[in-house]
Amino acid sequence: MGRSRKYLLIVSVILLALLVISIVFFHYKAYLLLSMIVIAAIMIPFFARFEWRDVGGREVVLLAMMAAIAAVGRVPFAGLPSIQPTSFIIIMAGLVFGAESGFIVGAVAAIVSNFFLGQGPWTPWQMYGWGMMGMTAGLLRNTSWMKTLWGKCTFGFIWGYIFGWIMNMWVIVGNIEALTWSYVVGIFVSSVYFDLAHAISNVFFIVVFSASWMKILRRIQGKYGLLQEQPG
Amino acid sequence: MGNGIQAIHPFVMFFYYICVGFFAMFFNHPLFLLAGSLSLIAVNLSHDGGRAMKQWAPLMIMMTVVIIVINPFINSRGTHVWFYIFGKQVTYEATLYGVVTALSLLMILLVFVSLNNVLNGNKLLYIFARILPRTAFLIMMSIRFVPLLKRRLTEIQDVQRLKGMTMTQGTLRERAKSGMSMLQILLSWSLEEAVETADSMKARGYGLGKRRPYIPYRMTKSDAYWLSYLVIFFALCVMGGLMGYGKIMIYPELGTLHLSFSDWIVFICGMAIALFPVFVEGREQLKWNYSI
Repeated sequence: MGRSRKYLLIVSVILLALLVISIVFFHYKAYLLLSMIVIAAIMIPFFARFEWRDVGGREVVLLAMMAAIAAVGRVPFAGLPSIQPTSFIIIMAGLVFGAESGFIVGAVAAIVSNFFLGQGPWTPWQMYGWGMMGMTAGLLRNTSWMKTLWGKCTFGFIWGYIFGWIMNMWVIVGNIEALTWSYVVGIFVSSVYFDLAHAISNVFFIVVFSASWMKILRRIQGKYGLLQEQPG
Repeated sequence: MGNGIQAIHPFVMFFYYICVGFFAMFFNHPLFLLAGSLSLIAVNLSHDGGRAMKQWAPLMIMMTVVIIVINPFINSRGTHVWFYIFGKQVTYEATLYGVVTALSLLMILLVFVSLNNVLNGNKLLYIFARILPRTAFLIMMSIRFVPLLKRRLTEIQDVQRLKGMTMTQGTLRERAKSGMSMLQILLSWSLEEAVETADSMKARGYGLGKRRPYIPYRMTKSDAYWLSYLVIFFALCVMGGLMGYGKIMIYPELGTLHLSFSDWIVFICGMAIALFPVFVEGREQLKWNYSI
């Protein structure tokens, strides 16, 4: 992995340089470009950890399968617009397999589902949103709050909204000079219904299915000894 | 391998998309953006006669029109008042800003339509496999699982339908519940299978020694020429942009739309970049039809 480490180092240096250059030179107009660079700079370290960590073949296949299930989950729900199980599956992965695995499952699920639905300027934002959803689920999994059903439901509800707000951001950032309060409020109001549907479906799935999903995932984890401890 | 633009090395194409994306987000002169959008439409036409573009057309047209129409009314910044409506001022600045934003967004969407067409899964992953080998491997495997899981899901749906569990009838709650039950069956089925897949990978030597990427694309001489072509014009564009050409002042007060001689040079460099796929295809056509 020595080679990839070198590449990564180069990439992160380039990103940092780009960031500084854009702040110094593009004092106007290039906010969308800047936001993409910032998002990439935020996500690179997580992928870098995944590259360097000692991950076995079984773990990689398991993560790929979880991401694929999260992406395919949209298929049976195609007839029920605005109900998407993807977030629920990512939260479950984060809760059982930990923060880093949660991030990877969320970000990869966004890329993979967009390979079939079409990549766009929204891809990095989706990767970021779902990745962070999985990561926070993993970070909070050992708190007593997240062990209760109520805690998990609150978590799913709040993330339904945060995810929608992250997705609103790319529209706002692309149009930032026209920023007025009525504009921002307009965008957020127009997405309230979708965010509410997302939040409520998260809560519904967590109430009905979280126990059985966590049991299935824990069983696989225990049976084959996979992704149990996250070193440092 | 394909012909024309499909035969160009993925790195060159990736660099092209970075350049065009940069063009769309960096310059804000309406003429630059309009010409950029038109040349990207030409690029998409040269790929497949505009079939992919047609699918995205409703979204693109709606977005452009909504931004152009809505922006002047919700935003009353600016000094040049055009007319008043419901006691709010509609300014030239806000109108022009709406046009610029809409065109820039349209251009980005067109870039992605072309990217989905040319840099399909394999090529995109080939680029990232050099930087993030394990992540690219994970994504590749995940993409491979998607059709497999879809097949399994159809199988599960067929069996469950006999038991009376369906997604097409009942209340929203019941349908969501049966959908998730199917996903749960899929989960427990597929996770066991995943471990088996991993074991068979291990038996064939996964993880012994360093991973080397399979290199299906070779940089040819003409790829190198095209790459240097792009690099030169891109450098000129960036330099021109940093000196302020190709950009207009909108806020706080509308500047001049007049294009100076240097503006035109930057404009021509930008067009040379944006139309690069058309040149590649055109060259192939000329060679095919007129060479002796």
